[in-house]
Amino acid sequence: MGYIIGQNIIRKEAFNKVTGTAKYTDDFIATGIYHADLLVSPYAHAKIISIDISAAASAKGVKKIITGNDINVLCGPLIDDKPPLAKEKVRYHGEPVVMVVADCEQNAKAAVAKIKVNFQPLPVVNSVSDALKENAVLIHENLQQYKKNVSDVYPETGSNVCGHVKIRKGDLQKGWQESELTIESNFTLPQSDHAAMETRAAQCQIMPNGRVIVCSSTQAPFSVKEQINKTFQVPIEDIDVNVLFVGGGFGGKAAVQLEILAYIAAKAVDGHTVKIASSREKDMITTPCKIGLEAKIKIGAKKNGKIIVAEMHYNVDCGGYADIAPRIAKAIAVDCAGPYNIENISCDALSVYTNHPVATSFRGFGHTSLSFCIERMMDKLGAALNIDPIEIRMINALTEGCYSPTQVKVTLSNTGNFGECLNKLKTLINWHEGQRIVESNHLIRAKGVGCFVKTSDSPTNAISGVLLTFNSDGSINLNCGAVEIGPGMKTTAAQILAEKLKMDIGRIQVKMEVDTQTSPVHWKTVASMTTYMVGRAVISAAEDLIRQLLNGAATILRCTPEDLEIAEEKIFLKTDQKIYLTFKDIVHGFQYQNGNSIVGQIMGRGNFIMNQLSYLDKETGEGKAGPYWTPGAQAVEIEYDTIQHTYRILKAATVVDAGKVLNPKTVKGILMGGMCMGLGLGTSESFIYDAEGIVQNTSFRTYKMMRYGETPDYLIDYVETPQLDAPYGSRGLAEHGIIGIPAALANAISLAAGIDVTKLPITPEQIWQQKEGVRQ
Amino acid sequence: MIAFDFAYFRPETLKEANETYKQLIIAGKLPLYYGGGTEIISMARAGSIRFDAVIDIKSIPECNTLCVENNQLIIGSAVTLTKIAESGCFPLLGKTVSRIADHTIQDKITIGGNIAGSIIYREAALPLMITNSKVKIIKKNKLHELPLLEIFDGNLHLQNGELIVQFLIDTNYLNLSYCHVKKTKLDKIDYPLITLAAIKTDNGINAAVSGLADKPFLLPVKILNEQDVPEAVRADKTVGAIQNNIIGDLIIAGKEYRMFVLKNVLVQMFENFKEAQYAGI
Repeated sequence: MGYIIGQNIIRKEAFNKVTGTAKYTDDFIATGIYHADLLVSPYAHAKIISIDISAAASAKGVKKIITGNDINVLCGPLIDDKPPLAKEKVRYHGEPVVMVVADCEQNAKAAVAKIKVNFQPLPVVNSVSDALKENAVLIHENLQQYKKNVSDVYPETGSNVCGHVKIRKGDLQKGWQESELTIESNFTLPQSDHAAMETRAAQCQIMPNGRVIVCSSTQAPFSVKEQINKTFQVPIEDIDVNVLFVGGGFGGKAAVQLEILAYIAAKAVDGHTVKIASSREKDMITTPCKIGLEAKIKIGAKKNGKIIVAEMHYNVDCGGYADIAPRIAKAIAVDCAGPYNIENISCDALSVYTNHPVATSFRGFGHTSLSFCIERMMDKLGAALNIDPIEIRMINALTEGCYSPTQVKVTLSNTGNFGECLNKLKTLINWHEGQRIVESNHLIRAKGVGCFVKTSDSPTNAISGVLLTFNSDGSINLNCGAVEIGPGMKTTAAQILAEKLKMDIGRIQVKMEVDTQTSPVHWKTVASMTTYMVGRAVISAAEDLIRQLLNGAATILRCTPEDLEIAEEKIFLKTDQKIYLTFKDIVHGFQYQNGNSIVGQIMGRGNFIMNQLSYLDKETGEGKAGPYWTPGAQAVEIEYDTIQHTYRILKAATVVDAGKVLNPKTVKGILMGGMCMGLGLGTSESFIYDAEGIVQNTSFRTYKMMRYGETPDYLIDYVETPQLDAPYGSRGLAEHGIIGIPAALANAISLAAGIDVTKLPITPEQIWQQKEGVRQ
Repeated sequence: MIAFDFAYFRPETLKEANETYKQLIIAGKLPLYYGGGTEIISMARAGSIRFDAVIDIKSIPECNTLCVENNQLIIGSAVTLTKIAESGCFPLLGKTVSRIADHTIQDKITIGGNIAGSIIYREAALPLMITNSKVKIIKKNKLHELPLLEIFDGNLHLQNGELIVQFLIDTNYLNLSYCHVKKTKLDKIDYPLITLAAIKTDNGINAAVSGLADKPFLLPVKILNEQDVPEAVRADKTVGAIQNNIIGDLIIAGKEYRMFVLKNVLVQMFENFKEAQYAGI
């Protein structure tokens, strides 16, 4: 058993949060700062004919009004395709067009209302299929002229395609020849909102000496720094980004947008501090959302259920600008076959511009979407062959020795044990009682399964680091660059350190805030990689401390470092534990009785860099995208009313190969949160557009999410197949609770109602339409 | 935030409220009577309404009444939905209002505000529409008592400065057997696809619905109560009779589906009344 690993640890900031004392970016109300507000586009696609700011410019408290014509830059993480404020035309409903800087929020808002913009509507590209039609309206006419910030993204000239990832594995022709059965289906998934509790906010001040100080609710402070540097040529050393607590990110706060606007605003008013904070409505559509997807999947299989070949087209709806969507398409391609072994694969994952709000990373990073398609295909295949849904998955399960779609060899360490997850799921969801149970009162109880496997798709050189310092009493300060966005990762870092040093976690203080000037670089707090990356850096820093402590103590105790051991803040002789030094005696220098001192201040440094990752081959996709996969199996149990076509969710279950569960209650909470979000996507969460691409549901009155009282029983269990290179064997799982749930729900409803669910969310109206054969 | 300035008044008497309104109008200002504020605040935030002043009626005793006097249940217009539901004074109304928005908001929404609001559902009106309810309004500084349906046909028709002070319901109606069905797109807490409130008097079933059209309306009594016609047929005939009123929209549901749900709701209603009859309620 571990020293503290596997125990329930209350997160270190818990009391500050539950008492409302913890502060978030927009909580600080400072006098004298300016506020910026945006006029956003009421059209999805339109030319900007003229902007009349005259009435606003003379309005009370207005300091500056900025339009797209005042800014001569394009920005974006992968492709520089986006003007911070729309220029010449708008490409989505909600796009920022004019920014007003005023002495207070009220005056900024009042002035925005006085601006008159004359738009000339353009034909709207309202879906991915519209965007891919021959002679489609081009959303970016000059796509080929945009600067690419990375080499491995491939926009297609003269089209709406801003990225194309190809997977070519095995021999397709041979696969089709060997197949005895073909299943084909199309799927459509909508865009939706992150809906984090904290809406996005940023502020910026430019000091007289040139220092740019940004405070932002971001998951990616170091990306903010880089993007301001790249976009405005501000020397990188002059940029300092501060992050307090972040009230939920779910990927949405990994995108950089308000920070750029805050910088532009501050620059326009001689560096004065400017704050820009999104209202809920703007947080939904002006700032980035979740991708939409249209997919077409065709699989060939043997009659025994074994899938031989798959041909897949995943077309990602990235909205008006590329943001990170080409990377999401890549992630989809990398794991295009789900947790199944398919020898022959052709997969094309496109990122496609539409006139929808801009999409960015979202919990699951494309995997929820791809899993929906693959998991529906598995059920269709099982149904066609009369094979039980879990059995059909077992037949095709990815196992040791198989090769992933990008031709990485699967090991137990790098992919865990998916088959065992399926076995445990059977027990958890009481599979043996049956999958479709007819009950009284026109009710049917049904269970559906949805599985997943996910890796990170980080940059191949993503890094993390940890700095450890001691207080005079021997307690430790831990400083890392990962942002506390909710899942308690800072506490996990402390737990790993406590385990490594065998000390009380209460004696480890973690710096909750991130300051890019003093915190070690951490790539981004995304991709379920934080425990892995920071955890590895913590262990490396702890080893650095241990080495120094042992060397110092060896001198003082007149032995070799090998004679010593560390626990409970003591460095003691292995042979006689009564001979020891405490951390307190040594960490700020050891003083002999005569006053002589040695050793000095002990500080630990630890770092981590991804290894063995590689770019994907442009033509075949061969390459290694992430360091490991986390597999899991999920199920949803529903009760369906055969008269009204309504349904109720009774249970949701997850079995994940966690490698090692570090902090059980925290892990359970994270998985439950993910499952709840997955049920939200399955039942209700989606942007609804009218024929002109205008989002109809931009508030929580009409954008419906799961409420606490609507959540079902959550059942959670684990498989623990250690990941050998991870901290104490623990796999990342922060996103994973969401991934298979919409598919599991769709499978349950398809079975219960006898319909074919190929779209989300699943409303009783849609079930009714399919049942009654009503034309939509 | 609300990006414009406005004045806030909190009169203690009806007279004072009326006078304040008058003075503001004379001064060329646009005042609004203010109850729970849920709609005024959210619309002002979104910039879809503007006003110069609000006159909060929550301190006026008459508007806060909740009692039975002379065989009438009197409900002040500023009484919150939570208070109505918790009082148990009118079970059908209690059930109806406890399904409007969520509990937090029910603590704010007033019955007068729900009925006077611009959001099309006005579910709190349904039980009142089918129970011959009366309203007391203040008009030119005088109280007038009149049938609700004279000033409310699903939309409230009051002149500027007029205010509903109280709703009056004959106690004979309060404990009749009743039926409340709310169907939403999916979630428990949402705007209604259909909300139906119905009672069964000696003369038969009275029912009103919200959500089907751009305002609540009464279902045709004659069809609902055709004694020799099977209930399923009555349900179909009702749907047929009102189908031109039914709207469809992008967010909640299409028209055809609403008709399907209405049919189910009516069948359920007939079923409920039958069960209540067997149970001797």
